[in-house]
Amino acid sequence: MSSIPAVVAVNTFREAVRDRVLYNLIFFALLMMGAAILVGQISVGIERIVIVNLGLSSISIFGIIMAIFIGVGLVYKEIEKRTLYSLLAKPIKRWEFIVGKFGGLLLTLAVNTTFMLLGLFVALLYVSRHLERGDWGIVEAAYFILLQLALITALALFFSCFSSPMLSTLFTLGIYVAGLFSKDIREIGALTKSPVVEWACKAIYYALPNFHNFNVIALAGHGQPIPASLLWQNTLYAALYVLILLLASAAVFSGRNLK
Amino acid sequence: MNSHRKLALLAAVGVPLLFVAVITLQTRIDVSTAAEVQSQQELLLSSGTVIKRLSLGYDALLADIYWTRAVQYYGSNAGIPGVKFPLLWPLLDITTTLDPKLTPAYRFGAVFLSEQSPVGAGEPELALKLTQKGIAANPQDWQMNATEGFLYYWYLREYQKSSEAYLAGSKNPLAPGWLAMMAAQVVLKANETNTSEMIWTEIYNSTPNPSIRKSALLHLEGLHASQDIEALNQLAQKYHSIYGHYPASVDVLVQAGLARTTPVDPSGLPYIYDADGRAQLNPKSEIVIESGPATPPKVYNN
Repeated sequence: MSSIPAVVAVNTFREAVRDRVLYNLIFFALLMMGAAILVGQISVGIERIVIVNLGLSSISIFGIIMAIFIGVGLVYKEIEKRTLYSLLAKPIKRWEFIVGKFGGLLLTLAVNTTFMLLGLFVALLYVSRHLERGDWGIVEAAYFILLQLALITALALFFSCFSSPMLSTLFTLGIYVAGLFSKDIREIGALTKSPVVEWACKAIYYALPNFHNFNVIALAGHGQPIPASLLWQNTLYAALYVLILLLASAAVFSGRNLK
Repeated sequence: MNSHRKLALLAAVGVPLLFVAVITLQTRIDVSTAAEVQSQQELLLSSGTVIKRLSLGYDALLADIYWTRAVQYYGSNAGIPGVKFPLLWPLLDITTTLDPKLTPAYRFGAVFLSEQSPVGAGEPELALKLTQKGIAANPQDWQMNATEGFLYYWYLREYQKSSEAYLAGSKNPLAPGWLAMMAAQVVLKANETNTSEMIWTEIYNSTPNPSIRKSALLHLEGLHASQDIEALNQLAQKYHSIYGHYPASVDVLVQAGLARTTPVDPSGLPYIYDADGRAQLNPKSEIVIESGPATPPKVYNN
């Protein structure tokens, strides 16, 4: 097993840290502190729920912004700065570069999510003075968010292999939003009563990444158990989809003329 | 002084001054558009289902925001004489559509909707609709059934349905014993003060919300005062049978040995007697007497 992707990944992570990407944690910490102090004064009966919902939604939103805006520049930036040429002159295969870049951004997102999760628990402790058994669901929800971010990163990386950052951002955002509405697309197909449209809608439903699978924020907020089967199903779903996208990215990037 | 220093000095003085100008201007704009802002107090989207679709997966957070908005809307309008709450139901409906498990929205929302103006929207039917939506989404929560039973009992005077609601809640293994007791009592002793007192006491003890606790306490104090007045009326009759006339004040009862101390209402003010020996609350008293279920407190009719 080659260690080159790991080296690329670590360097991508270091670059993100150098670019002060993790500074968003300060904003998150301020948001959590503000919410913890204010929520009891402006709302009724949802002090704990709002901390969990706000915390997990923020982890998701910050993560998506990072995954898209850093992801679309992963390859493009290297080409633009011409650093890719010196890299590829070394014994690095193009697919290793792609996998390494993906791993590096995922590591950045994982570190970011972990710190945010810690901040969320601190705010939760401040508001409710204790942690409950049901709070384990918050960790599971954060894990699902990370799986979702892995998918978005792979999407952004795929588009960045052949498109400009602006277009890649639009494509990734478009697929993300369409993926949230994939169930509706399937239902629309069923409503049309046309076998062709129904089949086409069903095909789109299965082709689009179903981001709805990963949303268990409401369950975590109410301290309700998250089905154990969902844990392995979502992990496998994300892994398979990421594998598809990385394969496609590697194929596109390998065939790209960089001269 | 070089040009950089000049510019820095200009910025140091100019920026705060310009900010003062901006704040002054904004204050003026706020004053001139105040009426317009008041009329803009409406919902751009009133369908919870549409908002849920547009929430991009952040429906739980959006529900918290809508619930907070409902609380703020209620809090900023409650107590204004003649106030109506046209946005309260849509806000609560959207909140509970976005997050059907948000139980505080059903429980507190039902109170906000059912109380008479200016304390609430005076819409017990909508409160019932909200509660029934909550029961459908949270069948394991017996407090929803208790709220439904209370709404039927206190505001709608449908004692059989009230009993059925309490009975349904009592079947929940987590429900306290008083629910089953209530199921029997609301049918058998619908108009007795003890039944009302028991319900308000349970509401007082079970809610962590200060405004609902205060409301429950006011109702309880009103019920206590009502019981006191009934007892004082009987004492007045007894006094009349002994002395041939009604007591001029409650102090006379003490002098006559019919009461140990001067009877006072829950706020500490002594009761008074009219010329016909009917006991009444002291005019300075803030206690509200309620004659029974579904009769709005006097203050709400003013």
